[in-house]
Amino acid sequence: MIKANKSHEASFRDPSGYMFYDGDTLRRVINPIYFSQYKELTQSGFFKTLIKNKLLIPHEETSVSEDKIIITPEKIPFITNPYEWGFEQFKQAALLTLKIQKFALSKGFILKDASAYNVTFHKGKPIFIDTLSFDFYEEGTPWRAYKQFITHFFGPLVLAKYHGADVFDMLQAYIDGIPVKMISSMLPAKTKLSSVLYPNIHLLAKMENKHSEDYKAETKIAKLSKKAQENIISSLYNYISKLSLKESSEWGDYYTKTNYNEGAFKTKKELIRDWVQPLNVESLIDIGGNDGTFARTVQDIVKDIIVTDIDRNAVDFNYKQLLENKEDNMLPFVCDVLQPAPGIGFNNTERSSLIHRLKEYSPDVTMALALIHHITLSGNVPFEKSAAFFSKFSKYLIIEFPTREDSWVESLLVRKREFINHFDFYNESNFELGYTSYFELLKKERVAGTKRIMYLFKNKEYGS
Amino acid sequence: MNFLYFDPGLGAMIVQAVVAVAAGVLLFSKNAVYKLKSFFGLTKDDDGYDSIDIDEEDTDESNDKSE
Repeated sequence: MIKANKSHEASFRDPSGYMFYDGDTLRRVINPIYFSQYKELTQSGFFKTLIKNKLLIPHEETSVSEDKIIITPEKIPFITNPYEWGFEQFKQAALLTLKIQKFALSKGFILKDASAYNVTFHKGKPIFIDTLSFDFYEEGTPWRAYKQFITHFFGPLVLAKYHGADVFDMLQAYIDGIPVKMISSMLPAKTKLSSVLYPNIHLLAKMENKHSEDYKAETKIAKLSKKAQENIISSLYNYISKLSLKESSEWGDYYTKTNYNEGAFKTKKELIRDWVQPLNVESLIDIGGNDGTFARTVQDIVKDIIVTDIDRNAVDFNYKQLLENKEDNMLPFVCDVLQPAPGIGFNNTERSSLIHRLKEYSPDVTMALALIHHITLSGNVPFEKSAAFFSKFSKYLIIEFPTREDSWVESLLVRKREFINHFDFYNESNFELGYTSYFELLKKERVAGTKRIMYLFKNKEYGS
Repeated sequence: MNFLYFDPGLGAMIVQAVVAVAAGVLLFSKNAVYKLKSFFGLTKDDDGYDSIDIDEEDTDESNDKSE
């Protein structure tokens, strides 16, 4: 018996249906208003083709009755939001949306919305997750989701080209996409000469402005042939495929900038593997995990891995690596530990906060390597507070503590200048004191050839 | 009419006619340039991105064949 114990907080905008939790399982209700679409999409083999090509999340039909159809989509362990993606991820999510729209058109359907939240990353690839986003194509009508595609995907990507990929953070403030007028105003004047950017952004902004006071919806909408719509989609697809960031990526040097030698690097990798293996874990998060170098040392023994970093270039590089190696159990995304993604949208719950999602994901192991000195010395976060943060979602915690003698720590301390004495608390024993208020210390080992100590902790709240 | 649950933006609906013309001209000219280039053997390999088109081969049939 299916029992709806809680509706999904993000699922209220579309009257076609909604999502709910049946215990831990997320299911989707389809309302009668959408029955004809759903049946046609299923019977024509449309869903099947998309699912087979790994473009749409697979689902099973769970129950059918006169007043509702329930389907159960494949479970996605961790949902990332558009403002947490690197440039390449964002680009691929946009291309996926266009690809699906083009295919839908050819089969007599359309994407009725083009929200970036319809896409997330699963098994190493972008995937469309809103099964009810399709509708019948009506001959001659323009694409209703066109503006949404521009504000959710095209605009942010073009802005990223000129201002860097951190402009994606703006999507935290604009859940409905960056306003066209703002996109237009942020682009350099020369983009008005572009045959793609002028019509799709500047002219669009102008037209939107001109028609914003058509309160009675009286203006007639011109017809648009299917071929014309296909041209719009293909032209956007071509343009986005060739988009790249203006800023040069600095990731290449990350690990040449470390202050210890290759031997120590290897020792650290082996230590992590030795500690993780006997725990027999299924999921792991590496916070501040850079391009995933250390997470990859346990990739074959952990089923599901997520890797976050504050540096979008590192996240991007990680994503490119996993595409190249066809890795399907790692998910990179952007996160600033000192300011994790908040809950946004209606009720502050439409897109849940990072902490909320991490609690749900509840990783067996949390890794925080070369991170605590940044949290403590750059963010001024006391040990007890950072320990409390990690304890919210971690069972086991592998954390690296660079001592005061470590050159990175030294440099961070020196930069405090006359306030350096305020940070006398930064030492091994205070660190342990802070962390043991939430965690039980299991293992501790100095990494030979470095001024760093590795710790393995177990959450006190987590049963033995 | 299909039901709408968000405002598609009137300007955005109208502007598509212009966008489509610009896109059509661009695609046509790119295609022409490509044909010219390939005639002279100047084409490069693609950029590594998938084509926009989706593979529609039916899995059931191909499964049958392999049996």
